[in-house]
Amino acid sequence: MRLATLAVKNVSRHKGRTALTALGIAVAIVLFILMRTFVLSWTGAIEHAAKDRLGTRHKVTFIMPLPKKYVDEIGAMDGIAKVNGVPQVTYMNWFGGKDAAHPTEFFSTIATDPETMLQVYDEILVDPKQAAAWKANRQGALIGDRLAHQFGWKLGDKIVLTGTIFPGEWTFIVEGIYTAQRRTVDRSTLWFHWDYLNESPTVKPKDQVGWIATRVSDPSRSAAIAKQIDKVFDERDVQTITMSEKAMQQSFLGMISAVLTAIDIVTVAILVIIVLILGNTIAMAVRERTTEYGCLRAIGFRASHIAAFVVGESVTIGILGGVLGVLIAQLFINGLLGPALEDNMGAFFPNFSMPPDLALKGLLIAAGLAVIAALIPARQASKLRVVDALRAVE
Amino acid sequence: MIPVSYNVRSLIVRRTTSLATLIGIALVVFVLAAALMLSAGIKRTLNSSGSPDHAIVLRKGSDAEMASSIETSTVGLILAQPGVKVGKDGKPLGAGEIVIVIALDKSGTAGQVSNVMVRGVADNVMALRPEARIVAGRPAKPGTDEVIIGKRLLGGFAGMSIGGHFDLKKNRPVTVVGVFETDGSSFESEVWADVETVRSSFGREGSVTSVTVTLDSPTKFKGFETAVEHDKRLGLDVLKEQAYYEQQSEATGGFVSIIGWVISFFFIIAAVIGAFITMNTAVAHRQREVGTMRALGFPRRSILGSFLLECVVLTLAGAALGVVAAYFMSFVKFSMMNFATWSEVVFTFQMTPGVVITSVLVGAITGLIGGIIPAARAARLKPIDALRS
Repeated sequence: MRLATLAVKNVSRHKGRTALTALGIAVAIVLFILMRTFVLSWTGAIEHAAKDRLGTRHKVTFIMPLPKKYVDEIGAMDGIAKVNGVPQVTYMNWFGGKDAAHPTEFFSTIATDPETMLQVYDEILVDPKQAAAWKANRQGALIGDRLAHQFGWKLGDKIVLTGTIFPGEWTFIVEGIYTAQRRTVDRSTLWFHWDYLNESPTVKPKDQVGWIATRVSDPSRSAAIAKQIDKVFDERDVQTITMSEKAMQQSFLGMISAVLTAIDIVTVAILVIIVLILGNTIAMAVRERTTEYGCLRAIGFRASHIAAFVVGESVTIGILGGVLGVLIAQLFINGLLGPALEDNMGAFFPNFSMPPDLALKGLLIAAGLAVIAALIPARQASKLRVVDALRAVE
Repeated sequence: MIPVSYNVRSLIVRRTTSLATLIGIALVVFVLAAALMLSAGIKRTLNSSGSPDHAIVLRKGSDAEMASSIETSTVGLILAQPGVKVGKDGKPLGAGEIVIVIALDKSGTAGQVSNVMVRGVADNVMALRPEARIVAGRPAKPGTDEVIIGKRLLGGFAGMSIGGHFDLKKNRPVTVVGVFETDGSSFESEVWADVETVRSSFGREGSVTSVTVTLDSPTKFKGFETAVEHDKRLGLDVLKEQAYYEQQSEATGGFVSIIGWVISFFFIIAAVIGAFITMNTAVAHRQREVGTMRALGFPRRSILGSFLLECVVLTLAGAALGVVAAYFMSFVKFSMMNFATWSEVVFTFQMTPGVVITSVLVGAITGLIGGIIPAARAARLKPIDALRS
């Protein structure tokens, strides 16, 4: 029998205890993966943020709009990307509409210019026929496929929303349903014509936009272009702040960073618990086998062998638990929780799936914890004097 | 009855194992308590922001002050409705306020900004909100660019100290002259500026975002509500102030509670497993001891009781340790975005009797579940088998 086999065989001596310990590790790994997935579902958007897109908004407060004429001024500036001579600039207003039938369910409702929006946000995929129909109908709405699924809306449906910011009842016709190129894109937004909003008699003052999104021709210059935009408007009555899409997402995450930090702390705490549980199990096994270790030492095994047995046993249990945990997490997150969150809370979790590299990380962590847990027991076992070990009772 | 000293000595002899179990339980209780404390802190901060005799008037359909808009000409009409309390100066105790969110640089970070709520208040604000007290500096002079800040903002952002200033608009700085507290409510995360200053800085002349009134008594609410909502042309909604803030805290409070419970759930499973393994092995090791005790004539229930007692003591000690550790969280400030207003609110971890009871109970049950099966097994052992092992 090889030495490694002995370490592994030792694991099966107390099947019940090993199973329980492995289960404990699995629970910790599931929690670890779940929490990381949760954090990554929000921070992950940063990595996918378009590098060539800038956002411009009111300098002091996001709730105040910008004059619409800023849109054309930005379009005429240097460094803005052009397609067929048309500058890639679009504008939007947060509408904050609510569906009377689902008053508590949140989804984004945004007024925009359909023509330029679909160019600037080219990750939004719409059937060309539907896109044309949406552009042609001033009352038309383009909705995400998840939103359509969630509320059971179909092409041609009439939707009546209550405005929380712009008072009254607003009627839209579903002209298009979009999907997206990447999973991180929110597929539960309702887009509609900014003109429809602006031309309503109840909307005062006229010609105001919430924010302006721009594509730059050279992403490496985006910081300079952003500065240039803000400089132009600095002397006006309404000043602006322009940021890359990435910076904007980072600043949003900064606002909830306390939660993300708390989650990280908790994740570490559960890993500590697991080290305690695993260490305890290993320590008990070592105590039970004191006489055996004495025997092994007496027939010529060195102290380092004994330590290796202990660590090997611990790592075997750790990996067993790790594999179990990764499997459970995979099934639970990708099979159950993720789809449920994406379908029902797509606005908050556009992409809730377990990143593949987390499986490997989970396994490595399980193995790493096992090594840490085995350190003290292994030291104790290897330090035993043969004569004491053989004499030990219990 | 097996003497308690047996259990005490046993715990001491097996101190490594005992300590590991103790710390495991303590961690579970700590995490659960911390999550519950934060949830309680959020509830307290946002829910205590309303007074029972206050009503808030918003535009119909608006679910937050920020989204609402009421014309100035309507404010007088609202204040003239029946039920509104008349102040010492003979004027109705109510005011139109304008709420806006501004981005400010957070102290000690490189360019990280966060949103702060600025409330344009009328000169009767201290009479309207008697819970507000100036704790440092002095009240702002009405009609000037002086502002007072809630005490939780102090030092959190650039310019947030007495004598400090920040821009509401380019070249339009406001100066901080005082710090106020309001018994822990969310107003403590707000800047209070003169209503005219806010209005002119943001080009919001002619309107306010909400109207808050003090009623003669909470029972007058129904009458006031009917009177204001009666005129359909005004298109207004009347809410009890407390109900309004409760609704504002729902999303954020619920979010933190759910995360807390999900995490605690996993922790509890891990802890039950840990306690189970520990107790189980402890029993296995002590078979001979149990056998001896049975042979000496101790009945089964006495042995079961003894093991359970040991388990309960260990668990309660762990739970106590966890609660004590969680208590220190009350000194930690937790700033987070309120999802309903998009502005930063500073929360504290709030230790309440409910939090202590729930977390200790969960910890104790965790330990008991882990200990009861092994204890029962120990008690069932036949003396002869136990002694032979």
